[in-house]
Amino acid sequence: MRKVKKRQVIDLSLKIITYLASFISVIILGAILIFVFSNGSKLLSFKILTTDYNSKPYRLKTTKDVEGLSFTNPNITDAYFSEDFGFAVKDDYTLEGTETIRFVYIDENSPLKTSVNEQGDNEPFKVDFIFDSTMRAVYKDGSTTTIFSKDGAKNVVDTLNGAIKIEAANVKFEGGGIRGSIITTLYLIGLTLLIGLPFGVLTALYLHEIAPQNKITNLLRSFIDMLTGIPSIIFGLMGAAFFIPFTSLLFNNPDMKRGSVIAGALTLVVIILPVVIKATESALSVVPKSYKEGSLALGATKTQTTFKIMLPNALPGILSGAILSIGRIIGESAALIFAMGTFIGDNITITGRSTSLAVHIWSVMGGEIPNINLASTIAIVILIVVLILNISVKLITNSFMKKYK
Amino acid sequence: MEKIKLRNKRADKIVKNILLVTAVLSAVFIVIIIGIVAIRGLRPFFLSYDGATVNFFKFITGTKYYAPEYRIGYIIVNTIYVVLLAILLSAPISVLTALFVAKMAPKFLSNFLTTTIEVLASIPSIIFGMFGKGYVVILVRNFADKFGIVTAGGQSTIATVIVLAMMIMPTITMLSITAIKSVPEDMEHGSLALGASSTQTMFSISLNAAKPGIFAGIILGVGRALGEATAVTMVAGGRGSGPTFGLFGTTRTLTSTILTGINEANLGSLEYDIRFSIGLVLIVVILVVNLILNGVKKRLGKYYEKS
Repeated sequence: MRKVKKRQVIDLSLKIITYLASFISVIILGAILIFVFSNGSKLLSFKILTTDYNSKPYRLKTTKDVEGLSFTNPNITDAYFSEDFGFAVKDDYTLEGTETIRFVYIDENSPLKTSVNEQGDNEPFKVDFIFDSTMRAVYKDGSTTTIFSKDGAKNVVDTLNGAIKIEAANVKFEGGGIRGSIITTLYLIGLTLLIGLPFGVLTALYLHEIAPQNKITNLLRSFIDMLTGIPSIIFGLMGAAFFIPFTSLLFNNPDMKRGSVIAGALTLVVIILPVVIKATESALSVVPKSYKEGSLALGATKTQTTFKIMLPNALPGILSGAILSIGRIIGESAALIFAMGTFIGDNITITGRSTSLAVHIWSVMGGEIPNINLASTIAIVILIVVLILNISVKLITNSFMKKYK
Repeated sequence: MEKIKLRNKRADKIVKNILLVTAVLSAVFIVIIIGIVAIRGLRPFFLSYDGATVNFFKFITGTKYYAPEYRIGYIIVNTIYVVLLAILLSAPISVLTALFVAKMAPKFLSNFLTTTIEVLASIPSIIFGMFGKGYVVILVRNFADKFGIVTAGGQSTIATVIVLAMMIMPTITMLSITAIKSVPEDMEHGSLALGASSTQTMFSISLNAAKPGIFAGIILGVGRALGEATAVTMVAGGRGSGPTFGLFGTTRTLTSTILTGINEANLGSLEYDIRFSIGLVLIVVILVVNLILNGVKKRLGKYYEKS
């Protein structure tokens, strides 16, 4: 009897330990999601998705005196309007969350429209400029006053009252957005699938439909299988040592020696190859044998059967392989750091350097002061896309499996 | 008629050859990868960089990593140490989770946990790295502060271990679930019929019989942990000498050494090329560890596959 009781105590404690352990995964996922969303939701807006990362600063001055001019107030809420200069500014926040002053309205005939930058080039003030640090107001008697952006929008308008010119105004187009990285990621997805998908599908067709059952085929298969076990950083080394020189030679462009979008895409092709091959092969193996035999019996050649019967029936499997590949491409960081570099660009070209969303996180987290807010915002974008991809793969696989049951 | 047949045959042959070429090309990539890493990785030992070649023996056994003498002996030790701790931390949790999902949990809870683990598995490593640098590291720093231990801002062995453990947990759990579910039911029925309690049966029969499958999951986890780069680099701290076994000290792994400062290194310099040598060492380490673990797995008994 005592033994039974002892057994019951042991059983209960084992059960409790198991219960507790199994919820650790829930806690981890919860912690990651809370961390990412609490840090990232502040910045998440449509604007951050469409703004460049690098800000473009200007140092401008007006060329015409404002004497005698008067503009009508467009009455924008929360904005302060300067009747002499014909512009409205507003207290606002940058994408990074710091206080700033934003130009929200500039009149067509405003002297700000004919301003020049320090080099003397024509460079008008634009709506959406933010006023950064300082500008100088010049009065009729030649005296000047420095206006600080930290004193607020009202101060700008008040101090400019009676002034005739603006000198040395530090303004800029706001940066901190992720437009470039989004475009690069899309480029990478497009290029990688464009090259990798046909390659993988044709390989799978060969292995599954045509290859004879012999040692050479087995060798090919095991070589392709070995790709799955290679860590992504080794793919990165290969990208750096093989695809970067290769693309630089191909485009005859020595600037590509430190990585380019196309070198990154080619590296990703190798990474997704086993994924595509495996997905296609498993889709081919689900297609009933009778389809193939029927086609062959009707006199179709092997090529016709392969491309007109087997391939169309395996399409859902290929699609799920493609979606899985997109997930890999979006999440990949180590390989791309080598093959594409970590320079966050705004003008995206295939032969230029820029970052994908994942590498963008790496770049902004790498400095002395990591920008966790921006990184989390990008992480939210990545997580949402990856989740959608996963769900769609599940749906496709389920309906595909049902079809042949 | 004959003509068409001949043409069809020729078309078949051409298509077959095209497909063969793509298949061979796909297979050749692994050769290119290993070949190019080997060629570039062996260069520092034979060519001179500013009049100095790297001594292979010193490189592989040394205890300090700094320019111009890059020695990675201690980094190999630290890498294996960190991965070992990560496995020790995550394997029990993963196996218990798998047991719960496969045997104990009611259907909805089992589905919920499976989905959780699948989502966890699909989170890219850069996000784990960000979470590690933004949260785990700070947690470690505050914890160490309470005991008066000074850390490098929390970047430490223990932070690396925690992040790695989180990343490999889904892998081990998913394979363990499959392994436990594949154990033949009559074994469990036999145990129950002999009077063992259900918990007893789960722990001594189901887990025991699933051992090889669970171990296969652990092997995959080890592979992922050894090769993980971005997340580890963000929390390891980058120690210049070692080996070190203290949990709160900084550490350095093979992958973090390859990745750290890659964009500052000049192309063709020793600082750049030595990364290929480390990559080569990484491939060898992964290969050796896999061989050893697969040898162990063979001794664990029969491998049940779901029928």
